[in-house]
Amino acid sequence: MHKLAISGLTKRFGALDALRRIDLSVERGEFIALVGPSGCGKTTFLRIVAGLEPATAGQVLLDGRAVSKPGGDRGFVFQNDNLLPWRTVLANTLIGPELVGGIGAIEHRRARDLLKLVGLEGFESYYPRQLSGGMRQRVNLARALTINPEVLLMDEPFSALDAQTREIMQTELLRIWNEGRKTVLFVTHQIDEAVFLADRVLVFGRRPGHIRQDIAIELQRPRALSLKRTPGFVDYVDRIWRLIEDDVRVSVIEEHA
Amino acid sequence: MPTRAALHHNMSASAPGAIATDAKATGLIRLWRGLRRKYLAGLLSVIGGLLLWEVISRFVVANALFLAAPSQILSAIYGLAQSGELARHIAISAVEFAIGYVTASIIGIGLGLAMAANTTAKQALQPWISGLYATPTIALAPLFILWLGIGIWSKVLVVIFLVLFPVTINTEAGLRTVSERLIEMLRSFGATPRQIFFKLSLPSAMPFILAGLKLGIGRGLIGVVVAELFGSRAGLGRLISQSADAFNMPDLFAGVVVLAVAGIAMTAGFGWLERRLVPWTRD
Repeated sequence: MHKLAISGLTKRFGALDALRRIDLSVERGEFIALVGPSGCGKTTFLRIVAGLEPATAGQVLLDGRAVSKPGGDRGFVFQNDNLLPWRTVLANTLIGPELVGGIGAIEHRRARDLLKLVGLEGFESYYPRQLSGGMRQRVNLARALTINPEVLLMDEPFSALDAQTREIMQTELLRIWNEGRKTVLFVTHQIDEAVFLADRVLVFGRRPGHIRQDIAIELQRPRALSLKRTPGFVDYVDRIWRLIEDDVRVSVIEEHA
Repeated sequence: MPTRAALHHNMSASAPGAIATDAKATGLIRLWRGLRRKYLAGLLSVIGGLLLWEVISRFVVANALFLAAPSQILSAIYGLAQSGELARHIAISAVEFAIGYVTASIIGIGLGLAMAANTTAKQALQPWISGLYATPTIALAPLFILWLGIGIWSKVLVVIFLVLFPVTINTEAGLRTVSERLIEMLRSFGATPRQIFFKLSLPSAMPFILAGLKLGIGRGLIGVVVAELFGSRAGLGRLISQSADAFNMPDLFAGVVVLAVAGIAMTAGFGWLERRLVPWTRD
């Protein structure tokens, strides 16, 4: 059985066709990246899988069960870190278990272990305002992992970071993913980020949102940043860019009109 | 990545026991420098102002019917305290303020919550709240005295009227401006509406609610004094008005100074409370 089986997924906002008849299967432990121009519905797609948004038609099956609302089997990593400013790093990380039934010694240890995993050991009692953007995103990631989700949904988690921090976070994410082998859906604007991270890159087209192509990335793991300068990597990036170039031009013109 | 923990460690490690007294001395010097930088200008300005006041009232105005010098005010406060007069007036005003302020805070927060939770409640209450907030309700004090007599309850009612609206408005505004993104975050973890209220809405409205309560202090004090001026048996407003009738300027200013000190102390206390309760709103 597929980890995630999505069939005929359609979303309309009034007259706007946001997503039309999306079919997708994802295997357990796969890392899937979603790229596409602005307004292609990739974030909407992710939100429907998360259960934050209802679908107009079609369904999302997780381990054969239909998804209709948020649940502990999916962890969402937000574009903005969305940390609660009055809570320490540790208390922010523990919000998931706290909401679904309380926190005991096990949850505390798990949260501490995860903070260590994302490189924040020693920062447990800091407040978000005392952290850099990169560190806050690490908390965001640790928080999603605390509920031990089977699927990790990531919505452009690194887009607010500067270029260098972003590259570091990409390798860190792969390291963390490698330890738990979660199934990941990762939305991004950056093609090189998608190729670097994913097993498969889904290229979305716009109006209505649909999957134009599903590209398997056959680059060896573990991947180091130097991979980004190899011809094989650059070929993938070029190929994907050519696929979405026209769409991106249209969306850029629309956004500035 | 900056590691503050390591930084702290180095700092504490550089002060071994042998030079502890030295470190203490430099600590005091640093404290003095800090205080001087923060407070010196303010202190000099206050001392200068008081001296100027003293000089003007003694040598320029030189008429005890119009102005009292700071030294005279001080001795008036001492005299009133000795006779027990001051304590009696303060006690009455404090009781009026406390009952009115606490009642208004509870009702105000309640109304704010109701308005934030329910659109109909908001639509129904909004015109009253906005209208009465803008109205100088202090002008209703004579009416309240007519209704409730010259005892404490007419003053309590004035205080309630003055404190209620800023608290209501701020509570409602604080709850309304809760970040949608944070609501979404909690929802993604399966939070119920109740959990969203207690874990997100309430704490994020706290700075607003405290600001409303802080505004209420000044307004409440004005309410107590002005209502007492209109008619009362005791209280700081009464002390001020009877001193004015008797052209006793030192006693009049004594009442004013006590009120000023009370206002400053309560506002400062609130500042302290804010730093404890909502530390994330700093910097």
